[in-house]
Amino acid sequence: MLGYLLRRSLGWLLMIVVATNLTYFLANFFLDPRANYLQLRPPRTPGQISRSLAEYNLSRDTPLLDRWWHWISGIVVHWNWGYSPVGESVNSQISFRIGVSAQLVLGSLILSTLIGISLAVYTAARQYRFADRFYQGVSIITLNTPVVVASLAVVLLAIAFNQSVGSTLLFVAGAQSPTVNGFWPLLLDRVRHLILPTISLTVIGYASYHLLQRSLLLDNINSDYVRLARAKGLTRQSAIRRHGLRTSLIPVATSVAFAIPALFTGAVITETIFAWQGMGQYFIQTIGKNDIHGAVAVAAFGALMTAIGAILADIAVVALDPRVRVN
Amino acid sequence: MTTNVPPLQPIVDKVDTVDTVLSPTEERVARRGQRLSRRRLYMRRFLRNWGAVAGLVILAVLVVFAIAGPMLTPYTYTDVDFTNLASAPSTMHWFGTNGTGNDTFAQTTHGLQRSMIIGVVVSLLTTLISAFVGAAAAYLGGTAEKAILGVVHFLLVVPSFLILALISQKVGGDWKVLILVLTAFGWMLGARVVWSLSTSLREREYIQAARFMGVSSLRIVLRHLIPNIGSLLIVSFTLGVVATVQAETGLSFIGFGVKQPDVSLGALLGDGANTITSAPWLFYFPAAMLTLLTVSMALIGDGLRDALDPTSHSAGRA
Repeated sequence: MLGYLLRRSLGWLLMIVVATNLTYFLANFFLDPRANYLQLRPPRTPGQISRSLAEYNLSRDTPLLDRWWHWISGIVVHWNWGYSPVGESVNSQISFRIGVSAQLVLGSLILSTLIGISLAVYTAARQYRFADRFYQGVSIITLNTPVVVASLAVVLLAIAFNQSVGSTLLFVAGAQSPTVNGFWPLLLDRVRHLILPTISLTVIGYASYHLLQRSLLLDNINSDYVRLARAKGLTRQSAIRRHGLRTSLIPVATSVAFAIPALFTGAVITETIFAWQGMGQYFIQTIGKNDIHGAVAVAAFGALMTAIGAILADIAVVALDPRVRVN
Repeated sequence: MTTNVPPLQPIVDKVDTVDTVLSPTEERVARRGQRLSRRRLYMRRFLRNWGAVAGLVILAVLVVFAIAGPMLTPYTYTDVDFTNLASAPSTMHWFGTNGTGNDTFAQTTHGLQRSMIIGVVVSLLTTLISAFVGAAAAYLGGTAEKAILGVVHFLLVVPSFLILALISQKVGGDWKVLILVLTAFGWMLGARVVWSLSTSLREREYIQAARFMGVSSLRIVLRHLIPNIGSLLIVSFTLGVVATVQAETGLSFIGFGVKQPDVSLGALLGDGANTITSAPWLFYFPAAMLTLLTVSMALIGDGLRDALDPTSHSAGRA
């Protein structure tokens, strides 16, 4: 198993390297940082623009292959992912934003998975009864709710809640307050900032896991091994949970694992509404500002997340279903 | 001979009476013996499920609404009414108007038409492609599996959103191109999920049995593997319709979606969500349409799943 995972990881690493380099050339082909300087007053001459871009290894006067060599050797030797057209270090941006995005994404990912799967078990055991229809209806509505609306509703509810309590218990914007010191106050402050975005991401995220898992569980709920578990004396609920759920978890586990990269770079709207400086926002910024190195770094990060998700999915499938053999 | 006849008479009589008494049983036996074709069996099970029929009805109403709706109003989706800017629903504009004076009813029906085509076609194509690729990879095994998975994984690693954003300046705006693009970038994750479920299925007895009977690989994949992941495919088709409509909104954001003056439900929802406090009708009507579309898909999907599932009790016995 360990050898298998090691081989898989090497394969993924190779793919990440290829994809990142491919993105570098694509980005160089389509994004032109010179456009950023055209708006400046007083206007710069092409020579001036080229000179200031050359400082950040972005000048079009240098051949592309030379620039690529400079960029890739910078990463390999110094782990330096380059600079934006105005000279900000990509490394410092990314390392700061990874933490912010991780806080935002991981909580809601875990919550929506747990809520989705538990609701699925609950409703699949009561197929077509009132509870099933009701929760399915709720999930369909939340599934169709745009992020903006869900976030707005959460914010309005929180404001009403804060007013009824009389103090600002839940913060509507930002990742943390600037004036808090000490470990425990800081942790509490972080949590108070985190609650609202986590709720809004969970509300829009759990429904697909619920519907997917419910449908798959219904395939197994009447199978022989669940009936056998019942015959051995398990209650219906625990027979479903321990025997029926286990094999039907595979597709959901895979979907959750592969949702990680999309969540990290895709929570743009949530980040904007709640004023979090995360990866999604950075991704859009880099494309908008012709920041080649930044965009490539985000793409590389997304590729790394995909690889981690895929390896987690492999482990989950093997752990869940003893019939699957790894070789 | 003649002495034998009288005793026979009562026996015949008895048989007659027995026959009339047993006739319901015999009829049942006869009915059981009469084999239903598989399609009629599924049809019967599907139609017995009131939820599924309701879903079908909702879908039919939506289709009629999308086609006939534009004829019900004097305005087209591009018409601008300068006397009514962002006005609430009234007898003149049933669903109100937006900030530039477009009739929301006309836009919603047109958008529904666009989104239905895009959503259903893209979701159908991605589901079919991912089912075939994923199941084939799992069944074939060995080098073929490695090669297919390698391609799928590589496409997952390549940042599709970035590539779309980069090439969107060159092409884009046309909904037919949009269908191609969304399908081309949308099938990999599904294929990976199908593959992971199929690796479990390929070890099952019925697949082994089919293999040892000499059934060809293509036939095993199409007739034995894919039908047994049917419920996954049905529900991912349902979820895919919603995901496509929302992905199309995301693509509009980077200039790849349906472009003005053409509208889609996704674009209407995006605009409406921004004005939900000042002009809520711009959000509610498109949102209601999309929700109804999803509800109908989910109900039909549920009914289909139950009709196809041999172990299901909920669709009655037949």
